[in-house]
Amino acid sequence: MISPRRTLLTIIAYGAASIVAFAFLYPYWWMLVGAFRRTRDVLSNPLRPFPEQIDFGVFSEIARIGGVDLWVYVVNSLMITTASTLLSVAVTALGAYALVRRPDLPGFKVLRAGFLLTIMYPYMLLVIPVYVVMFKLGLLGTTAGIILFLALGPIQFFLFEQFFRAIPPSVIEAALIDGANEVTILTRIVMPMAAPVVATVTLITFLLNWSQWFPILVISRSSDTYTLPVALLSMNTELGSNFQGIMALAVLTTLPPAILFVMAQKRVMAGMAAGAVKG
Amino acid sequence: MSAQGLSSTLDVMWRNRVFYLFVAPFAVITILFGIWPILLSIQVSFTASATALRATPTWVGFANYVTVFSDPIFAASLTRTLIYTALSVVANLAFALALAVLLDSTLLKRGNMFFRVALFLPVVTPDVAGYVVWRWLFDRSFGAVNAALELAGLPAFGGLSSPATATGAILVAELWHHAGFYMLIFLANLAIRDRALEEAAAIDGASAWQTWWLVILPQLKPALLINTVYATIQFLKTFTVVVVMTKGGPSDQTNFVSYYAYQLFDQGRYGEATAMATVLFAIVIVLSLTALAIGDRKSEK
Repeated sequence: MISPRRTLLTIIAYGAASIVAFAFLYPYWWMLVGAFRRTRDVLSNPLRPFPEQIDFGVFSEIARIGGVDLWVYVVNSLMITTASTLLSVAVTALGAYALVRRPDLPGFKVLRAGFLLTIMYPYMLLVIPVYVVMFKLGLLGTTAGIILFLALGPIQFFLFEQFFRAIPPSVIEAALIDGANEVTILTRIVMPMAAPVVATVTLITFLLNWSQWFPILVISRSSDTYTLPVALLSMNTELGSNFQGIMALAVLTTLPPAILFVMAQKRVMAGMAAGAVKG
Repeated sequence: MSAQGLSSTLDVMWRNRVFYLFVAPFAVITILFGIWPILLSIQVSFTASATALRATPTWVGFANYVTVFSDPIFAASLTRTLIYTALSVVANLAFALALAVLLDSTLLKRGNMFFRVALFLPVVTPDVAGYVVWRWLFDRSFGAVNAALELAGLPAFGGLSSPATATGAILVAELWHHAGFYMLIFLANLAIRDRALEEAAAIDGASAWQTWWLVILPQLKPALLINTVYATIQFLKTFTVVVVMTKGGPSDQTNFVSYYAYQLFDQGRYGEATAMATVLFAIVIVLSLTALAIGDRKSEK
């Protein structure tokens, strides 16, 4: 039996959730429609829910931004995000594994504390020193510098740390008694168990690094190494803004992570929650 | 350390060299791009800006800190940052908690995942792209916000161009970007709560309101603590939204500490910029450690 009171509450709940969901999704729709509408049409009616015409002409307008071809930004985004994600997963998995297995070894506690301090630093204020460090290492203006800087992140570390801590010590002790060495234990026992967490960390790192802009702007010497968000920011800052072009570039920047997230929604949300609620 | 102690330490390290090999890439990156820049930043804060980046900088002691703390713009900026942080933390957490309770309720069975995805999508949307769109949504002539208000017969919203409303406008844009994350943490906490307690409360004749306040909310303390710490640190460091939407204006209304320090850096005032960075770093560390200490004491009980 469903009481009338419960029916009413259900209607209210769906109403509230729908209003909030609409407010959260509307900016995406407005952006998408804006990419197809001419600037003067938007001025006369900003709320029009559908574009006057479906015309991809805007992409030839933004084919070059800041003297660089649009496809360069797309390739940079894909390349830098992919490379920094793979590096991040490999480096963090190995590092977290060693720190969890042998926290007693000299230097390991200090390293962990140093890492935790690093992630507390307001990273937008690291500009000056990171700039200097990159200069000293000869990495200023290189994609290698950008990729290396993007390889560290708290969520990645906490997810791996949490996973390795949960492995029962008996599993590893048994392998040691059987005469397995540490490399074998890592590659034959631990990593196969870690496959799901590796997949989660890869996904989340890709999403996070795709969004990065500030370190990329700082380490870059010219727009040749910009990714899509950085190109979007510099286009947005220019005077005499091209509204339609900005919306089109925003769509390009938003679409890849949005599609990825919608395809892997459960894994991403579970991973982000677990990475935040660390032990 | 005695010579013998040192040699036995080295011996331990050598016998466990495989673990040092595993940790080496992580250690190198952490040191090169984390610890070294932070130490460098702290060092620069004690030097004269004009000489800061030279091989032999001029040391000026705490002069940059004195300059920063006697700078009225910094004082105003810090005050605004703290107020903005307090407002944002409360707004985000209240909103996220309300949404989490709504999505957790048995009333919303169908389409539950759709709502979760819709509210979490902005979290994984590049912040630059999101804020660019919000900037234009708030635009007086292009924007959908004022067009909608006009349609509804409501007074126009000043948005980013008016000092009275700019802070509110960026607070809304940041809420859109971040609230889904806090909601997720609350939902995770709600999912692991002890439902038997609610059944017991129902048998004892507790009202829905009493059950919520006395039975459910106390179980959400871990999520409340984590979210408060995360949100406080997050909003203290507010930066991207200012760069994209307001550039610190109008009339310095959104010139928060991160952005102000960045501007000083841009003007070559490295010493003062890094002094500000160090102050903000200290605030963040104290807050994080306090929260950790509270969390530890709670879990020991």
